Amino acid sequence: MIDFTNVIKAYPNGTVALNGVNLHIDDGEFVFVVGATGAGKTTLMKLLLREEKATSGTVVVDNTDLSKLSYLRVPHYRRKLGIVFQDFRLFPKKTVYENVAFAMQVVGVPNKKIKKRVPALLNTVSLGDKSNCFPNELSGGEQQRVALARALANNPKIIIADEPTGNIDPKMSLEIMNLLVKINKLGKTVLVVTHEKNLVDYYQQRVIMIDGGVVSDDRVGGMFE
Amino acid sequence: MKQYKFSYFFGQAVRGLWRNGVMSFASIAVLMSCLIVLGSFTMLVANINVNLDELGLQNEIMVFVEPDLTDDELLRVEQMIRNISYVGEVRHITKDEALDYMIEQVGEENRDLYEAYRDDNPLSDSFEITNIDGAHYTDVTYSLSQIEGIRKTRDQRALANMMQSLKNGVTLIFSWFLVILFVVSVFVIINTVKLSVYSRKNEIVVMRYIGATGLFIALPFIIEGAMIGLVSSMIAYLLENVLYGYIQSSVSDIVSIIHIIPLSDVRLTMFFGFAAVGILTGVIGSAISISKYTRN
Ligand SMILES: Nc1ncnc2c1ncn2[C@@H]1O[C@H](COP(=O)(O)OP(=O)(O)OP(=O)(O)O)[C@@H](O)[C@H]1O
Ligand SMILES: [Mg+2]
Repeated sequence: MIDFTNVIKAYPNGTVALNGVNLHIDDGEFVFVVGATGAGKTTLMKLLLREEKATSGTVVVDNTDLSKLSYLRVPHYRRKLGIVFQDFRLFPKKTVYENVAFAMQVVGVPNKKIKKRVPALLNTVSLGDKSNCFPNELSGGEQQRVALARALANNPKIIIADEPTGNIDPKMSLEIMNLLVKINKLGKTVLVVTHEKNLVDYYQQRVIMIDGGVVSDDRVGGMFE
Repeated sequence: MKQYKFSYFFGQAVRGLWRNGVMSFASIAVLMSCLIVLGSFTMLVANINVNLDELGLQNEIMVFVEPDLTDDELLRVEQMIRNISYVGEVRHITKDEALDYMIEQVGEENRDLYEAYRDDNPLSDSFEITNIDGAHYTDVTYSLSQIEGIRKTRDQRALANMMQSLKNGVTLIFSWFLVILFVVSVFVIINTVKLSVYSRKNEIVVMRYIGATGLFIALPFIIEGAMIGLVSSMIAYLLENVLYGYIQSSVSDIVSIIHIIPLSDVRLTMFFGFAAVGILTGVIGSAISISKYTRN
């Protein structure tokens, strides 16, 4: 469960990126976040990740008030979230397998469990046969699938994807979106920031529109047709 | 964390050192020089201290009487010395004791040579005056000069004063020198480790998002700094050994009255001292360079 209440975010340089956001997302929802460039979508995600703190208002995730979270607790909080970046951010010198395994090593998962879980994760994203490839040997769509597998590695409750298809050619975008929907069906809350209007309309999911730092529209179904 | 092999942290640290070869080398060179200066300075001061102690401190005077005094006359001289104000303790050293002391000083192998003088001892009786009130030191020496039967007095105040001011000068100069050198060392280490941090910047960002703790992220870099410190201190230790050994032998050849602390007495202290200071400096430097990235 995610709750934004009167959230204002002003950056130190004075830019007000969010200007009173109210938002409620239940567990297991699939949500598109759309809006013009500079609207504040990434800022919204950064607040969820606790990379930035709200200037005022409260962000509550799973009964945790993020403004009251001590910085020592932040790493543990982040393990509830799986993140997918527009530019993949895979480790270039690690293989596909190692990239996924590393996410688990970082949080101290025993090796035995890692060995079992990584192949299963790679199968989920249909990359079982690429586990020994390096990222530069894969297409953009495949790299993003590795990133998805990595995001799922520690069994997070929430998946956050900020323009996951931004660097991928349109045909592959559909594949990534399908995967995100599949992941949502597995019970995870999924937030997808995107500019791809046709995809948003195609999936008929909940769509939240951000405009000028506030939620300007929030509905289920197509938004742009 | 517990489950995660420590080979990861060490592997990353070694990789970092290797990747920034030139800077790692520079850090090691600077820190090593710093440690050698620290070691040499400490040894110099320690040696001056030992010699100051050996000089019998500033408030001790040896009084040598005329060689042909009778026992009565000796007693009279002793009484007169004891009557001087501000004199602390007075100890009578017979010429036999003086000879014993001399033999002890020259070593057993020459005993026979000196033992031959036992019956016709050319040394004179003496009195050792200690615990003199420092403020009235000159009064005491004046009073001693008025006593008949005293051949000469010897005090090591002038020499001691000289050594004391030498020590003060050395301490002042070296302290500043050391401060500057350590600042430079830390600065160079900060920059070396920063290079490693920069080359792994993207990884660090991802690790933070995945939920890695600050310690997990920082440890490879801290170890890298500690390794710079360790390597520097071990090289410094070896060089200091050679250097001190060389100085020890050449000084004791030239002036035998100067007492040099034997290397074997300080080797262990030096080893652990160097390692501790070196590693601490490395850890401080690397902790500073990574601190920005371990916060959220
Ligand atoms: N670190 C920052 N410091 C200052 N201003 C910032 C910072 N990050 C973002 N902004 C500003 O905040 C506003 C919202 O930015 P944000 O990145 O949230 O937009 P966005 O909706 O993600 O846009 P896009 O679709 O282009 O990614 C913009 O005006 C941006 O310039
Ligand atoms: Mg954005």
